[in-house]
Amino acid sequence: MTVKPSKSKLTISQRRRARKANAKKRNLAWLQPLIDILAIAAWGVLLLRYWLTDKINILLHPDYVWLAYSAGFFLLGLAALKSVQWLRQKKQGQSSTTPPHFSLFPPGWSSTLLFAVALFGFYFTPQPFASDVALNRGVTESLTMTRSQPQAFRSATAPEERSLVEWIRTLNVYPEPDAYTGQRANVEGFVIHSNEIPDNYLVIARFVITCCAADVYPVGLPVKLPAGDRSAHPPDQWLRVEGQMITETLKNKRQLVIDATSLTEIPEPDTPYDY
Amino acid sequence: MLTANQLNNALTLFFSLMVEAIPFLLLGVLFSSALLLFVDERKLVAAVPRHPLLAALAGSLIGCLFPVCECGNVPVARRLIVQGAPSSMAIGFLLAAPTVNPIVFWATWTAFRDQPEVVFLRVGFTLLIASIVGWVFSTQADLRPLLQPTVTRAMPSQSTQARSSSTRSHGNGATTDSDLALLQSGTFLLGTGTQPQRLDDPAMLSTNLALSRPWTDRLPLMLDNVVQELRELGGVLILGAAIASIIQIAAPREVILGLGQNTITSILAMMLLACVVSICSTVDSFFALSFASTFTTGSLLAFLVFGPMIDLKNIALLWSVFRARAIIYLFVLAAQLTFLLSLLVNLYI
Repeated sequence: MTVKPSKSKLTISQRRRARKANAKKRNLAWLQPLIDILAIAAWGVLLLRYWLTDKINILLHPDYVWLAYSAGFFLLGLAALKSVQWLRQKKQGQSSTTPPHFSLFPPGWSSTLLFAVALFGFYFTPQPFASDVALNRGVTESLTMTRSQPQAFRSATAPEERSLVEWIRTLNVYPEPDAYTGQRANVEGFVIHSNEIPDNYLVIARFVITCCAADVYPVGLPVKLPAGDRSAHPPDQWLRVEGQMITETLKNKRQLVIDATSLTEIPEPDTPYDY
Repeated sequence: MLTANQLNNALTLFFSLMVEAIPFLLLGVLFSSALLLFVDERKLVAAVPRHPLLAALAGSLIGCLFPVCECGNVPVARRLIVQGAPSSMAIGFLLAAPTVNPIVFWATWTAFRDQPEVVFLRVGFTLLIASIVGWVFSTQADLRPLLQPTVTRAMPSQSTQARSSSTRSHGNGATTDSDLALLQSGTFLLGTGTQPQRLDDPAMLSTNLALSRPWTDRLPLMLDNVVQELRELGGVLILGAAIASIIQIAAPREVILGLGQNTITSILAMMLLACVVSICSTVDSFFALSFASTFTTGSLLAFLVFGPMIDLKNIALLWSVFRARAIIYLFVLAAQLTFLLSLLVNLYI
């Protein structure tokens, strides 16, 4: 099915010019390819920027980082190809020959939204989650919540070499706190102040990431402070806690607690999440 | 209102969802564009069995050909619908494809290899639900009233469809192709003859224009299509990711988790969580694993089966194809079936 030419005396190129002129008058459709190219390029650069500045560690599990930077390179390539095509079409005076398409937004809105959000991404620096998110996600409710079956469980690991997450996994496999009493602990994490335990305890916690920041979940163990209350260690401060394991009853529940002998302030690690 | 800190967290979540989803969206858009320009869907659609239930099952199994998550399968489903696929096949594909494919199977196996029943029940339940919902939708042989007008316009006209399909004989003969052409705006091909040609012309669709052109011409067409779909679906993805991040930060998750121990409420809680978290099906099994110790097996399955079918992010994507009424039907049917099957697992397995 074709559309009959309304003015048969006009040549094809005259009709094309007339239609182009009309289109320009009606809207800014000629801007569309340019905004498309800018939006695609901006997202490509943003993905590569997250990767090159290591901010990607705050957003994704390391296993998926290659996907993000591959997509970044791909988007840049796509923007370059589209630019060449656009310039060639402009030179030849052709309009884009696209298959039928449909959209929720008017086309210009979508690209502008994509471009604007990418620009905002350059301005906004992602922040690793901290104790407020941990409390919201229920670290105090489910201190031993973790993978049901540890993927890399090494029972031979000496207690003082276990990371916080390895402790949680060990506990998950054999949850009797008394089994660990007297073992040495040497773990790193950030401080959470929970209202549900006394002031001379804090929770030392890590976030575990399995895919992206949408699924990070906190795991933690209560720490009994050697002296005073927890106000000396504000929430979100990163600490190395050394001590030994004891069993105490907190919140009417017998559980494993680190009886701290020393707490050392450490800088926030480059990769704030554990895996 | 969100505090500054919550806003920061919501934005971090938002960009995390975007960074995670964009590669899969790209994959989906690439597959979709390749399908348009290099594969004759007509043959695919023609090979589908006539029986609505078998068509729905076939549509569900086609997911194996497209290893993409739900951000990617919507454009493919949209393409199938535009090419005149039976409604049961299109709906079956839409619901099953995010889960019934090798990548998701492998990811779920990695996460739940100690509970293989979760892996097989996930795939089995998804196939069952997608086929049943597809079958239900087959009573509406013409999907048009349920689709966005923009999609309807790109579909082959009723009379063309009626001619090409003996199963759909109740076409509206009052509307002719020429009427539609006069009323519609559209995309035109220039320089291919003495007259411009409508690309969304039913006659041209039926001969699949792109396939008749040389490869050197098809690649620019594919490029155009990739950019278009990326733009459209990217815009919707932004909306979905924004809503998901705000809800995830603003709603206290303890409330959701508190429901998790009971046979019934655990299923409802995990279905709600699946909806809220809007995580890609290729990676959601790892997310579900973090609840494995606190939630019932049935509720984990509900999360893994229902999430890829319907979630906040994906509702926004579905909205680019369907009207609200159809999305509500899909949601209610999928939710009821998921709930019933998960309840059976909780009670008897």
